[in-house]
Amino acid sequence: MDPVTLAVVRGALEQIADEMDLHLIRAAISPIISETHDCAHGLYDPITGETIAQGGYGLPQFLANMQFTVQGLLPIAAAAGGFKEGDIWILNDPYKSGTHLNDVILVSPYFVDGELFTLFANTGHWMDMGGSAPGGWVPTAREIHQEGIIIPPLKLYDAGRRNDGVIAMITANVRMPEQLLGDLAAMTNVFAIGRKGLDALVTGYGAPTLKSCIDEMIRRSEAQMRSYIEEIPDGVYAITDYFDNDGVDDKPLTVKLALTVAGSQLHFDFTGTASAARGPMNISDTTAKSLCFVALKHIFPEVPVNGGAFRPTRFTIPKGCIFAAEYPSAVGGTTDVIQRVVDVVFGALAQAIPLKTPAAPFGTTGVSTVSGTHPETGKYYIAVYPYPGGYGASHDSDGLINGTPPGSMAKFMSVEMSEHRYPVRFAYLGIRDNSGGPGRHRGGCGTRYGIETLGPALVSILGDRVDHAPFGVEGGGPAAPNSVVLRTNGESWIPPMRSKAEKVAFHKGDSFHLGSPGGGGFGDPLTREIELVEADLNAGLVDLKAAETIYGVVVAHRRKVFDRDVFRLDPDASAEKRRALHNHRSRTERAERVPATT
Amino acid sequence: MGGIVGIDVGGTFTDLFYSRDGVHVDAVLKVPSTPDDPSRGLIDSLMAADIDPAALDLILHGTTIATNAVIERKGARCALVTTEGFRDVLELGRRDRPRMYGLTGVQNPLIPRARRWEAPERIDHRGAVLKPLDEAHVLGLAEALAKEDIEAIVISFLHSYANPAHEEQAKRIFESVNPAWQVVISSAVVREYYEFERTSTAVVQGYLQPLVSAYARNLTSRLEKLGFAGQTLVMQSNGGLIPLPQLAERAAHIVRSGPAAGVMAAARMAAQAGFHHVITGDMGGTSYDVAVVVKGEPRIAQTTELDFRVPLRLPMIDVHTIGAGGGSIAYLDRGGTLQVGPRSAGAVPGPICFGRGGKEPTVTDANAVLGRINAESPIGLKHLSRLDIAAAREAMGRLGASLGLGIEKTAEAILTIVNHIMARRTRLLSVEQGHDPRDFALVVFGGAGPLHGSAIMRDVGIRTMLLPPHPGVLCALGCAMADIRYDLSQTLERPVAEINASDVHDVLARQRTDGEARLADSGAALESVVVAHAAEMSYVGQIHTLRVPIESKWTLARIVEAFESVYRAEYGNTLGDIPKTIVSLKTAVSGVRVKPDAGLRMLGPVRAATPASYREVYFGGWIKTPIYQRRDLAPGMTFDGPAIVEQADTTCVVEPGLSARVDAMDNILVELA
Repeated sequence: MDPVTLAVVRGALEQIADEMDLHLIRAAISPIISETHDCAHGLYDPITGETIAQGGYGLPQFLANMQFTVQGLLPIAAAAGGFKEGDIWILNDPYKSGTHLNDVILVSPYFVDGELFTLFANTGHWMDMGGSAPGGWVPTAREIHQEGIIIPPLKLYDAGRRNDGVIAMITANVRMPEQLLGDLAAMTNVFAIGRKGLDALVTGYGAPTLKSCIDEMIRRSEAQMRSYIEEIPDGVYAITDYFDNDGVDDKPLTVKLALTVAGSQLHFDFTGTASAARGPMNISDTTAKSLCFVALKHIFPEVPVNGGAFRPTRFTIPKGCIFAAEYPSAVGGTTDVIQRVVDVVFGALAQAIPLKTPAAPFGTTGVSTVSGTHPETGKYYIAVYPYPGGYGASHDSDGLINGTPPGSMAKFMSVEMSEHRYPVRFAYLGIRDNSGGPGRHRGGCGTRYGIETLGPALVSILGDRVDHAPFGVEGGGPAAPNSVVLRTNGESWIPPMRSKAEKVAFHKGDSFHLGSPGGGGFGDPLTREIELVEADLNAGLVDLKAAETIYGVVVAHRRKVFDRDVFRLDPDASAEKRRALHNHRSRTERAERVPATT
Repeated sequence: MGGIVGIDVGGTFTDLFYSRDGVHVDAVLKVPSTPDDPSRGLIDSLMAADIDPAALDLILHGTTIATNAVIERKGARCALVTTEGFRDVLELGRRDRPRMYGLTGVQNPLIPRARRWEAPERIDHRGAVLKPLDEAHVLGLAEALAKEDIEAIVISFLHSYANPAHEEQAKRIFESVNPAWQVVISSAVVREYYEFERTSTAVVQGYLQPLVSAYARNLTSRLEKLGFAGQTLVMQSNGGLIPLPQLAERAAHIVRSGPAAGVMAAARMAAQAGFHHVITGDMGGTSYDVAVVVKGEPRIAQTTELDFRVPLRLPMIDVHTIGAGGGSIAYLDRGGTLQVGPRSAGAVPGPICFGRGGKEPTVTDANAVLGRINAESPIGLKHLSRLDIAAAREAMGRLGASLGLGIEKTAEAILTIVNHIMARRTRLLSVEQGHDPRDFALVVFGGAGPLHGSAIMRDVGIRTMLLPPHPGVLCALGCAMADIRYDLSQTLERPVAEINASDVHDVLARQRTDGEARLADSGAALESVVVAHAAEMSYVGQIHTLRVPIESKWTLARIVEAFESVYRAEYGNTLGDIPKTIVSLKTAVSGVRVKPDAGLRMLGPVRAATPASYREVYFGGWIKTPIYQRRDLAPGMTFDGPAIVEQADTTCVVEPGLSARVDAMDNILVELA
């Protein structure tokens, strides 16, 4: 294989996928696509369904999910007579396409001289798919039908002819049909961008050369992935973690991972993970697998995104468990469940390669939605506020504050824009003091926000990590857990499922108050540099009690600036105190600071 | 003497261009920059060029002091005062991370949390006061901060773009407590919504203002001492100039001064040569900057990320940077595929052939091994008289062995890959913006640009490449060609159906008056004033807006019509009856400076240029290639590729299959033969 042609073709294919991403992001109506990039585009092998290239602007959570969806569609399309020029398939069936009903996938074939060359696919998050709660987050859903309309794999376009019946059926079942039509048109138009790019490439190199480049690209990505896996010491790394509850039954759900590293092969075994939740805390196995790759790519960012990188892995996900949802399990908790897959992969790999693996991030997407009729316009609205939170600390650095979930790149809406659009008012939005896991490197702090409704509204919240906090590694401590407080009719209360509440009726002046978890700490907090503890203390990220007891420092001088204390620490006295604490603490507390293992 | 100078103070070099009559180039030179006091380097360059400041009419100047201060976190010690409950607006950003993959790394806010304070007050999105400003609280805070080491105060309250009263009130209190403080309020810096972006922009202004005002003071006094009595104009990131006395209050507007000047120069020179759609490519040692110019106007970005979570919401020439430069390192990835960059050998250790200890093969080494740059007279290197070709060849040999490629083929592969990376970005930028790159001319500059321009133009499908006379000092030249410009904006964020046409007309008229007043203050000699209005619009619900050029007296129906035609041009269709929103109104007021007439240049007879020498250069095989000296080339001369053109500031490569001619303005135009 000519190395230059290979490099150029690889770049050009990635560019096509990038251009498709950018086009949809600019043209979509739904702010979830345009603002939070909740979409993905790629090219897939028409025989194996393997990823050839995927755009660099869409969300990580779709990393491998798109490939599995295309692979699931292949036999269905074959049974329907195969792909024809001008076809566009549509589906959102989460047991086939992963994530949740709001992620709608389109697949379109690309032919060269009458022969099927590749499949283009894209996915975009549609704001509402019907169901019992606006936006699709139904914390108490017991079956998929409460979450919205299921679109099985169907031809939206048959040889270039649009199936208006399918569209009418969909729009009749959703809350914001106008917006949906705009997004559908934008997603359909994107395929023309992809075809144009591929046309130029086929003209330049010819289909046979392109084919062999693609095969070689995938082979080399596999080799690259294997070389990283080979550097992980062989062994079995096990971890157990828990979800608080499924929103219906108040009992914890076990998450178990035994990760086996053998040479250049990884085996993710989720045996022992809780069986299907009655509530919506379930995801399909395609999504669970995809998030394992997201975690790997966060640890080894250099590995290219194509099917080759996915080859050296094997999965055992017991049928019907919360990571292999089957009909009719509700899956709307996906935003939270997927983050936990990343957490446990980190937790397992932190045991094998601690210098490369961060501690647990905040681990809950904690989506809160406010919906109702805008008192001024009389129009229906849905406002979505996902949690930001802290990232876990790592060998290299403290954890980031106000991170977006590892499987996402979604941003938080501007407060001012939000108040323009929706009848809400923010009381505060800030760093949650004292919430990062202590360590030599401190976990990032969580975020707190309070929102007041200016008229009658329904508020739903779907989060987790109240009872089981994000863990630290290598002696680092856990972060502060999640916190949800509702204030209605002048009274503050915590929902029975702690961070899950569905369609709570709010009136003018009611408010909700969320505090997201921070990230876990890395390394023993008694070894954190004194100057950094002093800076944290004066910034208010760590309080005096934590500084003295957990970080073992001694204050030399304290003064007041306006209404705040400003401290200077005593390095010598602190060092002495730390020595004493170290001897005392290493025996008694260590067990609590490492992830629970089995 | 008389005349004008253009000076671009970069991080490493200060470039100067001097013209006695404002048209012809009389001197061009590079001196080392003096980062401790950049005004000294500027004076040094005047001295080195033997220019008497007392005789100069005009100094036009670009600078990186603002960028460097932000990137290196060397700005002022500021305090930030926000609405109660929003102390962390600057640090939180909008929930993101530095890179899509990899969860390590933190941010470093320009104002740390310990120096961020709150004030009880609240205004809503319509500008109505929900809670009056607690003046006693602000006064107490100001008195407490007066005892601390703080140079500037930044005040940013929620919805201040809708009603700046509380910010102004708080500013008065802080100024009364300590008149030495520079106090910046967000609504005065950018009158637009999005609290994080507006606060960040105001903080950048406050962070830079003390530094920039000290710089303006130093420069003014140094120039006065030397008897300079003319005017000094400084390049802003939007491609327009401002007078030196206004520099401090516009500190946040000069962060991309140098790159903007380069794009302006490229755009103007291309326009003079008859090209109005231009892609500009500036390739240096570590990066390639690309920008698009349509109808002679560089594309403007409304928000630019200066660093992780440091957005600047001010109009700036939209320059995209990728890590591809002469120092970019070639290596094999773990899959055995040849890759180039973005890692760079930088100035130290630098490319292998520079002999400063570099061990990894770079793009420059590939150019050296292939004979494209002259090994016998290295440009800009004082420590060696000859490039170390043998060492570069040896490294190429090692890299190529595992690819099954020989030394030259390996070097050629490196160039192909890096050229392709630059071509991809060039294409993505133009296609992304809805243009067909074949309608554009490519202007390449920077120390390394002219070595690679031929390949980029071919790969992208561009028909003509323009090599300006002095590609290495183009930014200095750009300053001399620009006009004065002020950008004003104000958020409206209301559906068109709820707006009165008179609201629009009032805002535009106010912006015009405001801009014209500043122009009058500038004291510059102006030929004319150009006012351009635009509306940022979208369909209700969309986040991304489109910039719609409008006229000051248009009806709303006419504005909506214009939006639909811009939308159609951008996306190929419209969304029909979905209601439209006007997000903000913008006005650019430009003062076109009086510039000497370039006069009619003569092309001269068309004739073949004469090479100064020949050398073996590799283009798919070793070819005896003519070497031209740029100073020998005159308008009307032609030559064909393969050819090399050598000049003091760079080397130009004209690949086989391309032909070149020198136009009346001394540009080399390269086209497919």
